[in-house]
Parts: sequence; C-alpha cells; structure tokens
Amino acid sequence: MSQLLNAILWLPVIGIIAVLFTPKGKDQLVRYISLATTGITFVLTLFLYAGFDQSVGKMQDQFTILAPWIEQFNINYHLAIDGISLPMILLTGLLFFICVLSSWTITKSVKAYFSLMLMLQSSVFGVFMAMDFFLFYVYWEVMLLPMFFLIGIWGGENREYAAIKFFLYTFFGSIVMLVGIIALYYATGKGSESFNILAMHGGQFADMTVNIFGTEWAFNKIFFWAMFLGFAIKVPVFPFHTWLPHAHVQAPTAVSVILAGVLLKMGTYGFLRIAFPIFPEAAVEYSTIIAVLGVVSVLYGAFCAMAQKDVKKLVAYSSVSHMGFVMLGLAAMTTQGVNGAVLQMFNHGTSTAMMFLMIGVLYERSHHRWIVRPDGSKGYGGLATHMPKYTTIFIIGMFASLGLPGLSGFISEALIFLGIYKKFTSITVVAVLGLLVGAAYLLWMYKRMFFGEVSDEVKGYSDMNKREVFYMLPLCAAVIVFGIFPAPILNIMKASVGNLLTILNQG
Amino acid sequence: MEYTIANVAPIFLAPFFAFALNCLLIKKAPKLVDKVSVLGILVAFVFAIRIAVDFTGVANTDYYIHKVFTWFDLGETFKIDMGIYIDNMGAIMLLMVTGVASLIHIFSTWYMKGDVRYERFFLYMSLFTSAMLGLVLSDNLLSVFIFWEIMGFCSYSLIGFYFEKEKAGYASIKAFMTTRVGDVFFLLGILAIWHTVGSVDFVSIYNAVQAGAFGTTVSFLGMEVGLAAFAGVCIFLGTIGKSAQFPLQVWLPDAMMGPTPCSALIHAATMVAAGVYLSLRMYPMMVAGDLLNLIAMIGGITAFGAATIAMIQTDLKAVLAYSTISQLGYMVLGIGVGSYNAAFMHLITHAVFKACLFLSAGSVIHTVHTQEMPEMGGLRHKMKWTWIAMWCCTLAIAGVPIFSGFVSKDRILGDALYTALHAGLGYKYAVPALLGFLGAFLTPFYMCRMMFLTFHGKPRDQHIYDHAHSEHLKLNQNVPLLILSVFTLGMFFSGSLTGLGKIPAPVVPTEWFKTLVDSPTNNLERFSTYTKQQFGSVDTRENRVLEKTVYDSEAMTGYAGPNPDNKDGLHHAHVEGAIASVVIVACSIFLAFLMYIRGTIDPGKFVKMFSGWVTALKNKYYFDEIYIDVIIQKGLLKFNNFLAYVDMGLYDRYAIDGWEKVSRTLYRASRWFDDNVVDNTVDAFGVLAKTGHAVLRGLQSGLIQIYFIVLIIALAIMTVWINFIV
Repeated sequence: MSQLLNAILWLPVIGIIAVLFTPKGKDQLVRYISLATTGITFVLTLFLYAGFDQSVGKMQDQFTILAPWIEQFNINYHLAIDGISLPMILLTGLLFFICVLSSWTITKSVKAYFSLMLMLQSSVFGVFMAMDFFLFYVYWEVMLLPMFFLIGIWGGENREYAAIKFFLYTFFGSIVMLVGIIALYYATGKGSESFNILAMHGGQFADMTVNIFGTEWAFNKIFFWAMFLGFAIKVPVFPFHTWLPHAHVQAPTAVSVILAGVLLKMGTYGFLRIAFPIFPEAAVEYSTIIAVLGVVSVLYGAFCAMAQKDVKKLVAYSSVSHMGFVMLGLAAMTTQGVNGAVLQMFNHGTSTAMMFLMIGVLYERSHHRWIVRPDGSKGYGGLATHMPKYTTIFIIGMFASLGLPGLSGFISEALIFLGIYKKFTSITVVAVLGLLVGAAYLLWMYKRMFFGEVSDEVKGYSDMNKREVFYMLPLCAAVIVFGIFPAPILNIMKASVGNLLTILNQG
Repeated sequence: MEYTIANVAPIFLAPFFAFALNCLLIKKAPKLVDKVSVLGILVAFVFAIRIAVDFTGVANTDYYIHKVFTWFDLGETFKIDMGIYIDNMGAIMLLMVTGVASLIHIFSTWYMKGDVRYERFFLYMSLFTSAMLGLVLSDNLLSVFIFWEIMGFCSYSLIGFYFEKEKAGYASIKAFMTTRVGDVFFLLGILAIWHTVGSVDFVSIYNAVQAGAFGTTVSFLGMEVGLAAFAGVCIFLGTIGKSAQFPLQVWLPDAMMGPTPCSALIHAATMVAAGVYLSLRMYPMMVAGDLLNLIAMIGGITAFGAATIAMIQTDLKAVLAYSTISQLGYMVLGIGVGSYNAAFMHLITHAVFKACLFLSAGSVIHTVHTQEMPEMGGLRHKMKWTWIAMWCCTLAIAGVPIFSGFVSKDRILGDALYTALHAGLGYKYAVPALLGFLGAFLTPFYMCRMMFLTFHGKPRDQHIYDHAHSEHLKLNQNVPLLILSVFTLGMFFSGSLTGLGKIPAPVVPTEWFKTLVDSPTNNLERFSTYTKQQFGSVDTRENRVLEKTVYDSEAMTGYAGPNPDNKDGLHHAHVEGAIASVVIVACSIFLAFLMYIRGTIDPGKFVKMFSGWVTALKNKYYFDEIYIDVIIQKGLLKFNNFLAYVDMGLYDRYAIDGWEKVSRTLYRASRWFDDNVVDNTVDAFGVLAKTGHAVLRGLQSGLIQIYFIVLIIALAIMTVWINFIV
C-alpha cells in the first residue's frame, strides 16, 4: 500500500520500456502491452480509492512517499494525494485505458504512439501526485513533450501549426509559473529553502514584498498572477483559450480525449493545489476577476461553439465554456462552489471524453467532421436512423454535457451556482444563461447531424462495433451513476475541499 | 393515515423500474416491453388510489417525510435531503396522473402498434410517467426541478420521435429550448430561495415566507429587487415555459409532431400542467412577491390569444394544441385571481377531458390517416364511440353545465369577475377578467367547429372516408376514451349534478373537491399572516382589500369566515359569472352550429371582414418570426458567427500568432545588429550574436530540444537574478 503511488506513477514507464523492446512489426503486441499497462494502472488507482480515508482532509499519510532527490537544493521526491487529486487520478486511470482501446486503429508508427501515450500518462499522474514544486514542474513540462509529438505526428492536416502553438502557448505559461516557483523557493526562508508545496500553504507570504525593477510589489499578488497565468492558459480561461480549438481539431481522437478530459483539469487543479492555498489573500482579493473571467469563458465559449461548423471544434469550445463553470466555482470559495468545481472537473472529464470519443468513432467512418460543409450542405444527416447504437450513446454523452438532471453534469453545475449565488448574484444571473446557450449548441448540432433522411454517404457507415461499445460503456456508466449518486465522488473530496477552504478563509 | 414509505414509493418506483427493466428488455425481449410499461403504471395507479381514498374526507392533512434519504452532503453545513410531501392536492394529482397515464398507455398499445420504434415509445413513456409522479411526490424544489427537466428530456425525445422528418427535429429542439428558457430562471429562483431559507423543501419555504424572510431585497445587475418578487418571478417563468404561457407558448403547437398518445399524456394532461402545479405549490411566494396581477394578465392573454388562433386551424391536433394553451391560460388566470382551488380543479378536469380529446383525435387520425379536418367530415357514422367520447369532452371544455369544465372554469371566471368588479382592486384585474370571458366565448366555438368539421356533415374526401375502417368497441382503442369521457361529468368534481351546488349528486359527497383543496389552511394561513405583515403596515385601501379578500383563504371559500361581506360579493360574482358564461357558451355553440352545420353564416365572410387579423392568426401572431427569424437567425447566430470570427480570425490570428511576427522582427534586428554592428566592430561579440541568432532560428523551426535549452537557460538566469538581485 505504501508504494501504491510509485506503482501507479512508474508502471506506465515500465510499459514504455516493454513497448520499446517489442520486436519490429509486432504492432498488435504493442497494443496489448499498452492495454495491459493502462488496465493494471487503472486497477491500481481503484486500489487507491479503496485505501483512501475519506475523513482525512489533508494528505493521506498512508500513501505519502518522501525521499530526497537533489539534496543540495533540498529537492525531494515527494508524492502524496488528497481528496482533490484522487478524483483526477481515477479519471486519468480510466481515460487512458479507454484511450488505448480507442487508438486500436492507429497504424502509423504504433510503437512510438503508444510509448508516448504511456509517457503522457505517467507525467499526468506525476502532476497530480507531486507535492514538491520542482517535481511538479518537471512533470508539468515533461507532459508537453509527448503531447507535442502526438499532435504533431498523428494529427490532422494542420498538425504542425497546432502542435507548435500548443507547445509555445503552454510553455509561455509555464515559464511565467517557473518564475513564481523560484521566487517561492527563495521566499521559504534563507537557509531552509524548500520546494515543498504543502509547507507553502497557508498564506505565509502575505506580508512579503518583492523588488522588481526598483519598485516594491506585494509578493503574493505578483506571484499569484504568475501562477494564475500558468494555470489559466492550461484551463484555458478566456482570453488564453485560442490554442485549444487548434489543438483539439488537429489532435487524434485519443489525444483530444486526454487533452479535454485530463490536461485541462491540471490547470484548475493548479489553482486548487497551488495558487489558492499558497496565496489565499490574493485569491480572495481577486476572486471577482476570476469569477468574471469564468463567466466570460462560459458565455464566450458557448457562443463561439454555436457558430462552429466542425463538430470537434464545437466540442472544443464547449470545453472552454464548461471549464468556465469550474472557474466560477473556484471563485466562489464556498463549500458548494469548490466541491461543485472539483466535481465538475471530474464530470466534464467523463462527459467531454464521451463526446470526443464519439466524434472519433464517426470520423473513422466519414473522415470528415463537418456538421455543415463549407459549401452549406449537410455533413451528415440521418445518423439517428442509420446508427441506433451510436445515437443512444451519443445522446447520453450529449445530455450529460448539457447538464440534464439525472446525468452527471447537472449536479456539479447546480452546486457551482449554489456556491456562487450569494457572493456574485449578478454573475450568477448571467452565467445561468450559459446553460441555455449550452443546450442550444449541442441540440442544434444533434439536430443537424442526426435528424432527417439518411444521406447516401451515411448509408455506408457501419454502426459501432463491439470494441467501440465496450470502451464507451464505462463512461456511460460513470455519467449515469454519478448523475444519480454523486456521493461516492463528493465524499472523497469534501474533507479536502474543507481543508482548502479553511486555508482560504484564514487568509 | 398510517403510511410507510413502502406505501408511497411504488407510485414512483413502479414506472421507473418498468423503464429500467425495459432498457434491458428492449433488445432481448421486445415483445414484453409494452406489457411491462402498462403493468408499471397500473401498479402505480393502484397505490395512488389508496392514497387518494385515504385523503378524501380528511381536509387539510398532509403526509410528509422530510427525509427519505440524504442524496449527498458536503460535510456538516450542507446536505441535500430527498423527501416526500403529499397533501390533498398531491393526492388528487397522483390519482389523476396515474389514472390518465394508465389509460393512455393502454391506448398506445393500439395506436402505436406496428410502429418501427414501438418499444422505444414505451421506454420513454415509462420514464416520463415516473418523472411526473416523482415531481408530484417531491417535497422540495430541487427534486421538482430534476424531474421537471427529465420530463423535458422525454418530451424532447418524443417530439423528435419520428426523427427521419426534418420538421420533427426543429419541433423537438424548439420545445426543449423554449422550455429551457423558463427552466433556467426556475433554477435561479431555486438559488434565491435556497440562500434565503437554507433549504428548498416546501414546508421550510412556507415557514420562511410566513416569518417574513423574503422581505428583503436582492441586488443584481445594478438593480434592487424585492427578494420575494425576484424569486416568485423566476419560479413563475418556469411555469410560463413549461405550461406554454405567453410569451413562451410557441413550442406547444410544434410539439404535436410527436405521436398522439404522447401529446395526450405529456402535452395535454401532465407535463404542461406541472408548470401550473408548480405555481400552485409556490402560491405563497407569488403572493408574497405581489405577483398575482402579473400572473392574471399572463393567464388572460394566453387564454384569449391561443383561443383566437385555435379558431382558424385546420389541423385536428393543432386545434387541440391551441386549446391546451388556452386552457392552461385559464389555470394561470385562476392562480392570478386568487382562485387557488378552482385553478387546481381546472388542472384536473382539463387533464381528463383533454387527454380524452387527444386520444380521440388519435383514434380519428389513425383511422383516416390524415390530420387535416377539411379532408374529414361525416365520420360519426364510422366512429361512433370516438364520436360520443369526443363530444362529451367538447362539451366539458366548452363549459356546458353538467360537465366538468363548467364547474372549474366557471369558478375561475367567477373569481376573475369578482376581483374585477367587487374586490375593489381597481381596474388592473378588469383586463384579465375580460380576456377570460372573451376566451370563454371562443372556446365552445372552435371546439364545436372542430367537431362539426370532423364528424358531421358530409364526407369531404370520399376516398379517405371509404377507406376508414368502421369502429368496433376495442379494449385498447375506444374503451379508454369512454372511461375518460365518463369523468367529464361535473358531478365527480363538484359533487352536484349541475355543477352549481344545488342538486347533490347521489354518489359523491357534496363539494368534496372544495373542502379538500380550497382551504389548505396549513399553508395558506401562513402566507396570509405574511401578507398581513407585509401589507398591514401600509394602510391603503388597496392593501386592506387585498388582505381581506384575494389573499384570505377563508373568504375565498365562500364559507362562514371572518368576512361575511365578501362572501356576498363573491356569491354575487359567481352567480353573475355563471349566468354570463352559460349565455356565452350557448351563443357560441349556436354560432358554430349556424356556420358549420346549417351553413346559414358563411365563415368566409368573417375571414374577409377581419382579413388583417386572420393573417395575423395564420402566422400565430408572428411569434415564430420574431423569435426564430429575428432574434435567433438575425441576432444570435449572426452574433455567434461574428464572435467566432473575432476569436479565430482576428484575436487568435493577430494578437496571439502576431507574436511570431515580433519574434521574426527580433530575429531580423539581431541579424542586422550582427551583420552591421557586431561583425564590423568586435569579432568576439559576433560569437555571442550568432548564438542568439541560432536560438532564435531554433524558435522558428520549432525544434523541441531548443525549447528545453531555453528553459534551462531561463532557469539559470532566474536563479541568478533572484539570488543576487531580489
């Protein structure tokens, strides 16, 4: 049990080694190795859930791993989890397993593809587990590398542009964050500098100042914004969102799923783990700005989504919109708001993964993603008649993403609204309109793709095969079960969120 | 009433399990699906009967479990409990929903027979019924909202049931989006209430209203609004959306794209009535927010406006759709004039006769395979049973004495007249009352027109007529209709044969409905107290009257109460109203008779006379044009396209990718510096510049290794910087 985090973190790396040593030409073996690796990893994350103590809000001692790494600089190999990271880890475990299954049809340099996927998985786990800021940053940056190649090599026609854009944009954010990290390192105390994130929590930097170009600045404000920029680009919050549509449209299906399902959550996770608890005063002070950016993301993303003709771009913009809800919940800084935000991170992970996977399934048949072609004709049409299985699963995913009660999206959104209403009434009034536009673009998309006569092109498509149905089932189940019984996820997080709120309220 | 949860829960769970089971059966054993669904709803019906029987005869009681289970909690401070609340209103509602739904399920086994998606239809019906019953059982607004939305989903799916048709797609999305406009505000109302009361269960809300918790204001978007008014308007907007009230009525006529039994169940008897039910449940909030006049106006406008459109429709289901909107308008009008009991009674009577009308229409459509009335005519010879059932319902909706519609609608109109004339509330209630009476004139006319065109006269399309099968008494076709049509008799609701209360009916205790629902003192005492607190201090004549009359439940019942004067006034108004409406109905039916049977009056003349108005009616008062063409097409979509262009075409292209230009410029500058300054001066500097050169070129090429070098260099520089400078 004590080495469980290590096992989860390094198993994918072992998988990479196994994949790399597979003889040339044995692509199927590579797929099975990856499947087994991600499968076992997912099972291990479930063990993590089983051993998790829900009453403890702070880090779970039984899983914590702390070993010196670079002793000269007091850098440690420090892994730990709490109730905020566990849902993300579960999500990561599940989604990578599904993504390997959905990547079964990849034929272009299979070895490289799957080893990069596994590398990505390991680094994502690292981000959610690392409690040493240096380690955190290493994983945060390492994650860019496989993403860059996955988009740049296996992507669509404009892949290089999207890959570089994704890389540079995120990298820019990371560098700004890095400044903050280094500043924090030196601020922890002369002679006892450390990268320990947990030790930085609690607003100890409130009274410090920093001299930049001869001017005194409040330390916590400056570096709150440094962190903010790094994480906000990742979320992405308006106005830092434009890399997302490019990356999503160009990325292969599985990478889109990971990107929307997990990587975006790293941004909001960063707020929860780093920006908020380390600079609580600044977070409280600037919560209005965060809320405004959140509500703008919600509406801006939704309006832009409605105008899209490419279905993947539409879902990409819907991610901007849905992550805006998470930002709103964070800005609320209330029990309901933050719990709702973490739940929304999880729920958006499952529902948006469903959407991207379903679009991927369709893309494999049609090789285009036009809802409406540039010449104005319909891209699909009559899918509901022709592909009943596909339609059923698509409807579940779409309505979960739309926030229909009974499916997962509703509870998190309702909690966020409950949390934010008191503090930002006007913003709430505007933000609920996001629900309206959100329903509009999804249903309109659905109408254009699924209703009507079956077009000749669609007649050639086959309905979902067993493998595709198989990997959609866990997500369908998650979306329905957590829509009806959200308690299993909420129970994990509520003590940790309470802990975070205590820190924030002290500040 | 000794209940355990086991006596109540099956009402919701039986149809829900039928749905869940059917999800599995639909692939494995499709033959069982319809039976499971029917069985599920019949089980619920049996349990509902028991509850209704227990509640009958006991006024002012409720069965209330605050917490059946805790849905989830977020620590000590916040938890969401799910509970059950049944009072007399709920008990009657349960009986109505399960009863009507059972008959509609049975009818569907005939109507939908042979449909390619026969099984799926029952899947949705079961889910819908369970959601509707869950809504009625709910003790709090949140679970009401949840079931409310699930019903919306079922409605969406059933309207788009024939998804091969492009039109069905439009209709379903229109229905979902229009109701969602209301739903979003409903959610906002829930938020406002939650933060005021601390929970959203009805009993707590009533208590809080009584305690004056809603006396404060809420500020949003720079406005200060009374909290009760804000919450009340938000909730009422939910009603407007769901019950298709002006100005969100546009979706219901299009909803007729769905199969007819679903129109009967969802878009006539239950879901649309759930909106009214919500406003009834939240009546204290409406009073506290002083919204009744607004509600009465909305109801009056809807009742009259929809009735006018119904007059010129040629599609059988469209007539019924508009008449549904109109009748829902009467219910809302009833709420607005303080006619709590009558509004609810009209909800029940309307559910029965409108469900029957839709089923009859379904029976006709299924027989003649057309919905256009001009192609029908003379069908009474072929469809005797349907004809009888439909006439009963037509007389009921028209408000002919003896039938149920007279009992309920006349009470609403009487109360409307009372508020307009006798209550001393000024003229602001005159308009709704007037609209209500005008609508009461139109209703019998368009209904009789529909009947005459469909069943009477000579067949206008001989081919269709000849191909229609003659009807026999069939258990799942016309028997459900006949059962429903029995309950269009007023005595089941008023307890008197005439509906006027004078001649007691032999079987039903007199005025049972009134005793059960008209004095829900448990709730109403609370809000009348609140009203007195709120309005008592400002002693204007208007407020005093408000307090005494409209809001005072005792006075409204007409029984001995603290306000004998008002009792007289009320009595007067009801007598006047009853006489007026009987005269109106008689004239109206006679007019229809002259036009469509005798042909003495040519309807075409009227069309010519009011040609402008008729054009407006044909275009449904241009709501679709305004909403779809102007607001959505010209406004929203244009705005979206513009925004998307700004986002990708301008912002991303210039503001974000523009940095590439900056970097190129820097690169050129450094090369220029390199070539012209450095090379010509000190060679040693040239090396440095070339390095920078290479780095920048690397940035252009997108080589990842370079980025990591940059990263490490940056790290080093910053370490040095912070160590020595900070």
